[in-house]
Amino acid sequence: MRPHSILVSAVLAAATLVGCGNPSAPSSETETATDEQQILTLYSARHYDGDQAIYDAFEAQTGIEVRARESRAPQLLETMKAEGEASPADVIIAADAGTLWRFKDAGLTQPIASEALEAAIPGALRDPEGHWVGLAKRYRGIAYDTERVAPDAVDAFVKLADPSLDNEICARSSSNIYNLSLLGHLMETQGADAAAAWADTVSDQFARAPAGGDTDQIKAVAAGACSVAIANHYYWVRLATSESEADRDVAARTAFSFADTGNGPHVNVTAGAVAANAPNREGAVAFLEFLATQEGQALLIAETKEYPVLDTVTLPEGLPAAPVSGAETNLGRLGENQVEAARIYDRAGWP
Amino acid sequence: MIAGHVGPIAQRLPLGLATLLLAVPLVAAGLSGMFAGGGEAWDHIVSTDLWRFTATTLGMLALTGLLILATAIPAAWLVTMHSFPGRGVFEWLLILPLAAPGYVIAFAYADLMGVAGPLQAALRDVSGWGARDYWFPNINSLPGLCFVLAGALYPYVYLTARAAFTTTSLCAIDAARTLGASPLSTIWRVALPSARPAIVAGLALALMEAAADYGAADFLGVRTLTVGLFRAWSSFGDAGAAARMALILFGLAIGLQWLERRQRGRSGTQATSKRWQTLDRPPLSPVMGWLATGFCILVFAWGFGVPIIRLIWIALETGDRGTASLWAPLRNSVALASAGAALCFAIGITIALGVRRGGIVASAARAVMAGGYAVPGAVLALGGIVALATFGLNLAGPLALIILIWIYACRFTAAGAEPVQAALVRAPASMTDAARSLGAAPMTRIWRVDLPIALSGATVAALILFVEVLKELPATLMLRPANWDTLAVRAYDYASDERLAAAALPCLLITAAGLLPVLILSWRLSRARPGESH
Repeated sequence: MRPHSILVSAVLAAATLVGCGNPSAPSSETETATDEQQILTLYSARHYDGDQAIYDAFEAQTGIEVRARESRAPQLLETMKAEGEASPADVIIAADAGTLWRFKDAGLTQPIASEALEAAIPGALRDPEGHWVGLAKRYRGIAYDTERVAPDAVDAFVKLADPSLDNEICARSSSNIYNLSLLGHLMETQGADAAAAWADTVSDQFARAPAGGDTDQIKAVAAGACSVAIANHYYWVRLATSESEADRDVAARTAFSFADTGNGPHVNVTAGAVAANAPNREGAVAFLEFLATQEGQALLIAETKEYPVLDTVTLPEGLPAAPVSGAETNLGRLGENQVEAARIYDRAGWP
Repeated sequence: MIAGHVGPIAQRLPLGLATLLLAVPLVAAGLSGMFAGGGEAWDHIVSTDLWRFTATTLGMLALTGLLILATAIPAAWLVTMHSFPGRGVFEWLLILPLAAPGYVIAFAYADLMGVAGPLQAALRDVSGWGARDYWFPNINSLPGLCFVLAGALYPYVYLTARAAFTTTSLCAIDAARTLGASPLSTIWRVALPSARPAIVAGLALALMEAAADYGAADFLGVRTLTVGLFRAWSSFGDAGAAARMALILFGLAIGLQWLERRQRGRSGTQATSKRWQTLDRPPLSPVMGWLATGFCILVFAWGFGVPIIRLIWIALETGDRGTASLWAPLRNSVALASAGAALCFAIGITIALGVRRGGIVASAARAVMAGGYAVPGAVLALGGIVALATFGLNLAGPLALIILIWIYACRFTAAGAEPVQAALVRAPASMTDAARSLGAAPMTRIWRVDLPIALSGATVAALILFVEVLKELPATLMLRPANWDTLAVRAYDYASDERLAAAALPCLLITAAGLLPVLILSWRLSRARPGESH
C-alpha cells in the first residue's frame, strides 16, 4: 500500500462512515423522491426549534415536503449567487426586510404575484415590486429603568440624543442588522445628516462600549450599569415570560417603550420571497400564502414572540398590545439605506 | 521489495494531488474575491478600519501567544519532570480545554463576568456599591478575548511541549545535571532548545486557530480581521472585500509558518541515544510542590473548570432547554467528525511524508495547509461552492456532505500534519540515512522507515483532528444538508437568539463528545515514554 492508496482508502472510509452515520437522514432519498412527492427547498436565515412544526403543518395540508437549509443570511446569499441557475432554492426566508432587499438587489428573487398575499398583508410591509412579503412584525424600541427614567423621556428615538442621557445608554454593536435597519429608518424620517448627528451623539452618550446582544443590554439596565437600552420588543417579552426568576426580575425593573421614529415606531419583519430560479414556483407561493393564514401565523410567532401581520390572530401569551400607528415608511427603504447606515455608524465611532 | 522502482514523477504524485485538493477552495475564494469588483465597500474599509482590524489581530496574536507560552510550558515541564501533589491527575486534566470550543468558553465567561452576571451581582450585594461605582475586568475587550482564546488553546503547546520533554533523551538532561547545571539552567539550555521545534509548532497551530476564530471574537465584540471580514460580508454585502481580508489572514498564516520552519531549521539537536532509563521525577520541596499544585489548578480552572461549571449551572438553573432533541445533532457531529478526521489524516500523512523532499510542490503544500488553517471556514466553504458552481452543480443531496468533508480537510489538515511532521523531525535523520546506504529504494524507505516513524505522531494527529472537526461551526453552518444540524450549529443558533440557557446543553455535549478522544490522547502520551513506570 502506497501513501496515495492510503489516501484513496481513507476517502472511501470517510464516505462510508458518513453513509452509516445517519441512517435516518433523507440524503439517499433525495434523487428518487421527486417523482412521487413534491419537494419545496427553503433557504432560511431563521432558526427556531418550532419551525419544523410549520413545515409539518404545510406538508399535512398540501402534501409538499419542505427541506430547509438554514444558515446565516449573508452566507445564504453568497451560496445562491454562486449556485446561479443551478440553485435548488424555492423560498427564501429572512429575519429582516433589509436582508431580503439584498437578495432582490442581487437578482435572486422574482415577483410573487399572489392576490391572497396582497390582500392579507399591509402595503408598507411588502416590497413595492412584489418581490418579498413581511410575515411577522417586530418592534425595535427602548427598554428603560422605570425608577430613573420617565416614560416620556424615551418615547422617541431622537430623545436618546438628549444631554440628560449622557453616560446612560447601552446598545449593541452597529454591525447588527437591527441597528442598521433602525438608522436606515431614521435616515428616511430625519434626513441623512440629522441621522448621522444622532448616531454621533448617541454613541458619545454610551455608558459602556457596545457588547453582547439586546438581552445583555436590558440586563445591564436592570443591574444599574445604564438606564436605557435599545432593544427589540421580543427580547424584553421573553425575559418577562421566562421560567427563570432572575429574568422576570430584570423585566420587572424595566419597561419597554415602542419609541417613535418620526412616523411611528420602528417596525421590521420576518419576510419571505420566491427564488428567481425556483424549481417549484407554485409550491413556493403556496408556502408563503400558508404562512399568512391564521394557522401559519400562529405557528410562526408562537416561539419568537413576534407580532402577526394579520390583525385577527390571537397574540401569544405575555405580548402587550401592539402600538396602533403602523409604519409609514416602506420597509424596502431600510435595505437601500443599509450600506450608508453602516458608513454613518463607522464615522460616528459606534463600534 | 515493495514498489521498488518508481519514477520521480510517480513519487511526487500523491503530494501534488493532496496539495491540489486542499488548494482548490482557497484559490476559488481568493479569485472570486479579487475579481468580484465592489471596490466601494473595500475603499471604505481601507479608509476606516482595515489597519485597525489588522493591528487588533496582531495584538491579539501576540498577547494570546504570550499567555499560552507563560502557562503551557511551565505546566508541561512540571508534570513531566517533577512530582508534586496531584501530578498524575493534572497530567491529563490540563488537556481537557482541547474539548471545549473557544466560542463556548467565551459564552461562559461573558455570562460570568458581565455586569448582570453572578460575580458582579455578588460584589454589589456584599459591598452595597452601584453598578458604576467600581472597576471590574471587562471581558468584552482585547485582553478579555486573549484570556478566553489562550485558555481554550494553550493545550496545543502544552501537548507538544510535554511530548517533547517526554521523548527527550534523559541522557542529555542527566549530563547537564552531572555537569553541575542548576535546574533552571538545565531547562533553559538543554530542555527548551531541544523542545523548541515542538513548542513553536504547537504555538503556530494555536495562533492560526486564534486568527481564524470568529465565534469568540464576535461574541466578545473585539474587531479582529476575521470579524471585519464577516462585517464586510454582512453589513456591506461585499464578498470581494471579505475575500481580500481573507488574503491578509492567509499572509499571516504563511508568516507564522515561516517562523516555525525557521525555528525548526535552527535547532540543531538530534536525539542520538536510544538508551532510555526509568524516569526519576525529583520531588519538589513541600512549598514548591504545593505552589506547583496551585499553578496547575489555576490553569485548569481557567481553560476548563470555571467555564464548564458555569455552563452546567446555567443549564440546570433555568427551564429553557429548547424543544428539539439533541440526539440527531450528536450523531451527526460524531459522524462528520470521524469522516472529516479520516480525510484530514490521510492527506496530512501524505503531505508530511511528501514535503520532506522539498521543492516547489512541498512549499505549495505547506502554504495551502497553513492558509486553510488560518482562514475562517466560511470563506473556504464559499470557495467550495464557487468551485462546484463552475461545474454547474449545487449543494443538493449527498454532494453537500462530500463538499463539507472536503472543506474540513482544507481547514484542518495542518493540525494533523504538524504532529506527524514533528515526529519525523524528532526521529534521527541517521535512520533514513542508514536505510539509504543499505540500498533501500525510495518507496521502500518511505514504507518501512518513514511511515512507522510518522505513525508514532499519528494517534495524536487523528484525535486532534476529530476534536477540531467536532467543534467546527461556520463551514458546517453553510454547507450541511437539511436535517444535518450538528451540536455546534445548535449551540450557535440558540446563542445568536440570545438563549444562553438553551445553548448551554449543546455546548456541554460538544465538550463531552470531545472528552473521550482527548482522554485517550492523554493516556497515549503519558505512556509514550518507554522508561515510564506504571
